[in-house]
Amino acid sequence: MPETQTKQVVEVGYGGNERLMMNMGPQHPSSHGVFRMILTLEGETVVGVDAVIGYLHRCHEKLGETLTYVQYPSIASKTDYVAAMTAELAYVAAVEKIGKIEVPRRAQYLRVVAAELQRIASHCLWLGTWCLDMGGALGGGATVFLYCIREREMVLDRFEELTGARLLYGFHQVGGTRYDMPPGWDKKVRETVDFIEARLGEYEAMLEDNTFFRVRTQGVGVISRELAEAVGVSGPLIRGSGVGYDVRRAEPYSSYGDFDFVVPVETAGDCYARYRVRMVEFRQSIRIVRQALDGLPEGPISSRPGVKSVGQVRVPKGEGYTRVEGARGEIGCYIVSDGGAKPYRLKWRGASFSNLAVLPHIVPGHKVADVVAIMGSVDPVFGEVDR
Amino acid sequence: MAHNGGRPTPGFWKETGQLVGAIGRAMSVTLRNLFRKPVTVRYPDVQRPYPDRFRGILALAYDKETGEEACIGCRLCEYICPPQVIKVEMLKAAKRNFAKTFTLELYACEFCELCVQVCPTDAIIMMKSFDLAASDRRDLLLDKDRLHALGLQFEPSWATGNRLRDMQAPPKPARAEARGDAKGEAKEPAE
Amino acid sequence: MTLPPAAWHAIEAFVVLNALLVLVAYVTLLERKFAARMQSRIGPYYVGRPHGWLQPVADALKLMMKEDIVPTASDRWVYNLAPIVFLVPCLLIFATIPFAPQVGVADLNIGVLFFLAVSSLEIVGLFMGGWGSNNKYALLSAMRAVNQIISYDLPFIFAALVPVLLAGSMQMSSIVAAQQGLWFVAYPVVGQLAFLAFLVATLAAENRVPFDILEAESELVAGFRVEYSGMKFALIQLGEYAHMLGTSFLGALLFLGGWLGPGPAALGPVWFLAKTLLIFLVITWVRWSFVRIRVDQILAISWKLLLPATLALLLATGLVVALRGPGGA
Repeated sequence: MPETQTKQVVEVGYGGNERLMMNMGPQHPSSHGVFRMILTLEGETVVGVDAVIGYLHRCHEKLGETLTYVQYPSIASKTDYVAAMTAELAYVAAVEKIGKIEVPRRAQYLRVVAAELQRIASHCLWLGTWCLDMGGALGGGATVFLYCIREREMVLDRFEELTGARLLYGFHQVGGTRYDMPPGWDKKVRETVDFIEARLGEYEAMLEDNTFFRVRTQGVGVISRELAEAVGVSGPLIRGSGVGYDVRRAEPYSSYGDFDFVVPVETAGDCYARYRVRMVEFRQSIRIVRQALDGLPEGPISSRPGVKSVGQVRVPKGEGYTRVEGARGEIGCYIVSDGGAKPYRLKWRGASFSNLAVLPHIVPGHKVADVVAIMGSVDPVFGEVDR
Repeated sequence: MAHNGGRPTPGFWKETGQLVGAIGRAMSVTLRNLFRKPVTVRYPDVQRPYPDRFRGILALAYDKETGEEACIGCRLCEYICPPQVIKVEMLKAAKRNFAKTFTLELYACEFCELCVQVCPTDAIIMMKSFDLAASDRRDLLLDKDRLHALGLQFEPSWATGNRLRDMQAPPKPARAEARGDAKGEAKEPAE
Repeated sequence: MTLPPAAWHAIEAFVVLNALLVLVAYVTLLERKFAARMQSRIGPYYVGRPHGWLQPVADALKLMMKEDIVPTASDRWVYNLAPIVFLVPCLLIFATIPFAPQVGVADLNIGVLFFLAVSSLEIVGLFMGGWGSNNKYALLSAMRAVNQIISYDLPFIFAALVPVLLAGSMQMSSIVAAQQGLWFVAYPVVGQLAFLAFLVATLAAENRVPFDILEAESELVAGFRVEYSGMKFALIQLGEYAHMLGTSFLGALLFLGGWLGPGPAALGPVWFLAKTLLIFLVITWVRWSFVRIRVDQILAISWKLLLPATLALLLATGLVVALRGPGGA
């Protein structure tokens, strides 16, 4: 726990430049989870930020050592609980890498459809909560929030038809996926995706050229290219700062190489650039979903038989690290196996954990109102940060 | 007003024109939504239709042909449950085994469907409902009688152990026939 | 029945105050339903089916029964008096508004001046609330509030002075009478611009989005109201909505012709209420469509844009009146 900055003695003078230490969180409407920021304010300007995490620590990495490869994928969804499909994918892909387990083509395409639909749903939530933070729970922010949630609910309905659950799925298993498409599902997904694409135009009409929105987001929270590369942010943060790095292109996994999509890159590095990157990602995810559904091959959905007992999956001794492009950045999962049914060690590389590290560099110098705009554009999920 | 992050700043009149246009656009979107039908589902007066695979409350089922309890007390569900909410004791009997006691702590259940997945006799199943709110946590500690009663009270989900396992790796034809699944029966009803 | 005038005024004031409180309560329901429909949902529904007619009553009962928590470190007198000091000016402005010719508590011949002066007093109550709570969030919000409301009261006053110039009187009933031929909002250029400036200044003077940085639920969690619960919170809410309704009444009176409308004179108050609610709904519509802007941007708009614009508008109106000559309407 950081102790240095919180024990300063503040001299209250009358010169008008005394500093105020204000706590934002862990219970706060805009902290996107449980996150504590100790802000040092001079008037309205933030001069220092001290981030405290760990309020959502649930010992995932220890749980990974006590649960077997069959049990853990449903728990893996709880790290990045907003975009659960990509988190599970990281875990099972790591296990498949160690055991050199083949995944059938149909399962790979289904994984892609699930991951991209999940990215659409996660970005809906991002846009909604960001506008909610900036516009107020009783104001225009709530309007955009409710529109985005209305669209996200449609995607969640599709997931409910696929797996039975709406938020934490347990869709992946080692060797493939656990569920196949119900009849009529791909038609419904296409309708959903067409509908969302039309509604995206509405959001952009509300926000894109809106002067109020622009003055809140342009020039705010600029992450320079050097800073982005030095701190190790990933996902829309680094793509908004000029580096075109996307794990789906750098190391294609789960047959992403078969699909044709554009990786958006913006150079300005501010909140508006990251907003543009995510809006383009919306449309590209829709494009990928359509391509995957068009080209979906027939075949089994898993290369291993259905789970019948808890210790069914064993992988040989070894270690493996896989990365996937989550909605927030690069999620990595590192597993060390000792030949049994449980990992010897599981380590998560949370995308939001590395993304949050950029806050002390970009927040000082901004006003208090900008802090929420920056937090929203960084889009952390504390399941990933604290694990 | 704020610096634009390197983008060119438009002139005063252009910016004013942009502002007026933006205000008009945003307000017209809100106005358009004023005349759309609300998407609220007025639960509990109106129920939302649940999909076939909905993962709801857990219950124990009876065997379709014999009418006996389907659970054979094999404890596979107990071993696979990640939060370890199921506790089973086996009762050995002449032709087949039963479960002497079966407790499921629904307040700690994750609804991951792994217990349903591994059950060899399709005994434990999930229902198409989640409507079991209680004000006392002890009401959610389900014992065997309660679980059987729930199985008769709600509509069961499509997903049972055998169907899930068949979906994941299609069985060889001989095994499917021996189990008595007719060719069309294992398929889900079309949406 | 001959009563002394003081008693007569007291009865009028009592009736107006009660009617006002009921109106304010139901205007909150109107706002919630309107906002809900814009967001593809239904607003209050269950309490008093089918459309939540009893919701304001339920809210009032709930607030009355809530525990009144007073922080130990707060400045007692300031903290407890703040809601009252905030509420009283917001209700007092209704004293000068005539609801029909000859109907009203006090139709002062400096009616508009009284209204504008008293409505600015709420800032004292606001700052007392922020200071007395002994809470950094509340203090920050109170500082922003003083900044913002003082900056926007000036354009508000200048925009409200345009109809006064055009009518030649500060008495509210004569301003309405002067709109017999043409509503002031329909005056070429001057009328529309003044109305627009009035609306923008109203939004800012009442802390409505996009200018609600001082309550900013997502940063400051209710701003200066954060430490108030129960009936004190109810008083503050009441004051806010009463003020908003009051400025909507003023806008309808100054720009939209007050109680003038087709039909018999007895329909006058109905038209007046309809116009007020129209302005209120426009303000609500704006509120639920935009994100808020930062306090320095708000101040920039006021000092760099709105104040020069309203000053120029006042000058132009003065020219128009002078050119029109004496006796013109």
